[in-house]
Amino acid sequence: MGWAAFFGIWAFVSAVILDEFTLPGPLKVWNEILEIVRGGSWADDFLISISKTFMGFMIALIVGVPVGYMMGRAGYWKAFFHDGVVGAGSIPGIVYAIIALVIFGIGFQGPILAVGLISMPFIALNVAEGLEGVDRDLLSMSTAFGRSDRQALRHILIPSIMPFAFAGVRLSFAIAWKVEALTEVFGSSNGVGFQIRFAFQGFSIAGVLAWTLMFIALLLLIERGLAIVERWLFRWRTWEQAA
Amino acid sequence: MAIPLAYLGAGRMSAATMSRQPGFANSSIGRALRSSWGARVTSYFAFVVAWQIVGASFFRVPTPWETLDFIWREVSGGDHGGVRPGQFWEHFSATVPRFAIGISVAFVIGVVVGLLIGSFSFVRALLSDVLLVFLALPAIIWAFLTVMWFGLGWEAPVYTVILSAAPFVAVNVAQGVRAVSPELRRMSDAFGVPRNRRIRSMLLPAITGYLFTGLRFAVIIGWNAVLLAEWFGAVDGVGWRARLWYDAARYKGFVGWAIIFIVFIFLLDGLVLSPLQRRAFRWRASPSSDLKAEVGAVDTESFTNTAIGL
Repeated sequence: MGWAAFFGIWAFVSAVILDEFTLPGPLKVWNEILEIVRGGSWADDFLISISKTFMGFMIALIVGVPVGYMMGRAGYWKAFFHDGVVGAGSIPGIVYAIIALVIFGIGFQGPILAVGLISMPFIALNVAEGLEGVDRDLLSMSTAFGRSDRQALRHILIPSIMPFAFAGVRLSFAIAWKVEALTEVFGSSNGVGFQIRFAFQGFSIAGVLAWTLMFIALLLLIERGLAIVERWLFRWRTWEQAA
Repeated sequence: MAIPLAYLGAGRMSAATMSRQPGFANSSIGRALRSSWGARVTSYFAFVVAWQIVGASFFRVPTPWETLDFIWREVSGGDHGGVRPGQFWEHFSATVPRFAIGISVAFVIGVVVGLLIGSFSFVRALLSDVLLVFLALPAIIWAFLTVMWFGLGWEAPVYTVILSAAPFVAVNVAQGVRAVSPELRRMSDAFGVPRNRRIRSMLLPAITGYLFTGLRFAVIIGWNAVLLAEWFGAVDGVGWRARLWYDAARYKGFVGWAIIFIVFIFLLDGLVLSPLQRRAFRWRASPSSDLKAEVGAVDTESFTNTAIGL
């Protein structure tokens, strides 16, 4: 019913309040999508954008997990990274696009850097919070029974951090996907953002809406997908949440 | 593997072990550096050093000093070494009214829609997916659409702010309404509590916090939105000014304006919004987790919600 309402409201606004040129109706945009799909290169654009996003996430994980680890373990590092990590949430997305554009110019590295910069604080904050929840008794018990630090890391710390790191990735996915597209709008020669910009410069409202709709559909699909993967990967934790 | 293990006990060990050692670590400067204040100062210092290094190694990236110099010329109306003098205030005063009008309208619309969604389950069923799409729409799309609809001028920035910020207010207000406990509601039904007393003592305390969170999102998201819309569809304003420097390939101007954007939102957040939010929450117990308590108003959850909207 919700989706019927969405398309109903859209069709109503397009046909009655505004006109078909100002806001093309669902049917017209659907035809535009079919045309884009028939054109064939859409899959490449989406693949390129997705792979840039995931490369950005890789960088964010590589930097963010150690930062979060330090923040969760030592008061000094918590204070050290605090302002940057917390402030990053209120920096406008356009600033990340600017930074990426200035450092790399037009190219594929810009969006990767923007995604990395914007999702890193989420991952760090989540990991730090996860570490604070680590069972301290378990740690002192493993020391008491002569387990090595390596074993403690492998069997206690990493398993307790990973769900939080993954949650950081999932939570920051929507924003990372948006900033990735934004950076492509500003400076790229391929990807979804570039196509949206291209439609804008051709003054094609239907084109902008068609690409946007595909963009949102993929966002929602991947988000659901990540939630399922998360539940499957960390299904061993369910007893803990239930308790 | 060896490096992270060094930190395993670092938090609790360092103070104890280091204070036994003579020399620098135990001097007053050493102790000041290890305090959380010292850590903050060190982090800002490290940031400037890192920027300097990046600036020296990428030819397009201006150094901190060049950027600061640019900002000063722009704000003081000084000379940029060409025909263009610094223009900060005229663009700033063009943007602020657009931003303020957009935020006010977005807030009113968001509160009304949020109250409706929170109070009536059929409105929620009707609008929840519409809201989902609006939340997922990047601000840049609204900027493009409004520019195509209204052309260059003040309309595109104002409407972009409204359209991108209102959904976040609505979501927060709706959450607030639903957070009113059903027991309280049933009890006031049973005791026949009059409507305006119900609003004053049940609904308002429950949604105040959510209102402020919604306002904060609206401000952060709206600021990004107004910049984007001015970048693509205005002939004045701070977003347009930043674009001017970008088009002229004067990257220190571009980066200088990015810094101004950040400083503005940090000041607004730190000096106006956070104190307001703390005031609204005075009567509440402080949050339990100490990281969250320290982070204060920006707890992880609102942090996440904010970010989705950029």
